[in-house]
Amino acid sequence: MAARLFVRRRDGRIEVRLNDAARAIAREAFGHVLAAESDPEHEWHASLNGPIDPSHDVDDPLAIFNRQHEVTSNVELAVATLSEEFLNDAEAWAWLCTLQIALRATITAKGIMTSERLNESDESTRDYIQTLQTFLFSLADAM
Amino acid sequence: MPSVKPLRVSDQTQSESATATMTERPWNVVVWDDPVTPMSVVVVIFRKIFGYPNNKATQLMLTVHHEGRAIVWSGSLERAQNYCVKLQVAGLLSTIEQDS
Repeated sequence: MAARLFVRRRDGRIEVRLNDAARAIAREAFGHVLAAESDPEHEWHASLNGPIDPSHDVDDPLAIFNRQHEVTSNVELAVATLSEEFLNDAEAWAWLCTLQIALRATITAKGIMTSERLNESDESTRDYIQTLQTFLFSLADAM
Repeated sequence: MPSVKPLRVSDQTQSESATATMTERPWNVVVWDDPVTPMSVVVVIFRKIFGYPNNKATQLMLTVHHEGRAIVWSGSLERAQNYCVKLQVAGLLSTIEQDS
């Protein structure tokens, strides 16, 4: 049985049991999300700016602003708590959202939209995806 | 002519009613499947954003998984947009569409 990376404690906080290497991976993922939000040239930028209503060429500007604001707020909170031993619910939610955005942005940037394409992807990509999935599995289990 | 006026009123009412029906068609929030998002993560996100109980969140997640998409909420355009944005902020592939 795999070790649990995030554990809900009796006081309600979520303990982060990531070692330095795992935290470095999370740091890198959070950094990419933060950069992609503001950099149109970043390979994850398109994934963060998908359509809300595909039947219209342009989405409601207020909805786009709200999305950018909430993504930025979450990633900034996730970055700010990267070294913490315990997370409260809001911080854990920010981690979950940001890790999930990193996971989806990775497959979108590499055109991996089916299980077949995932199996055909290179080993380093699959390893990275599996690492993020492992973080997400454990974090969701604790929430 | 006495009969004309009621007919016009009736026609206008019917027309307005049809228009109202057209504009009141609900907006659906749709979540799409992808090959990597863990199922348990989708359930947590549905519970958190919509306040759904675990069994409803799980059922919707399974619909996304098996059918490729699921309508997870229906209602006004403004609220549908808000929910769609929240789902995208949480990293799910989500769009809105007007009910057909």
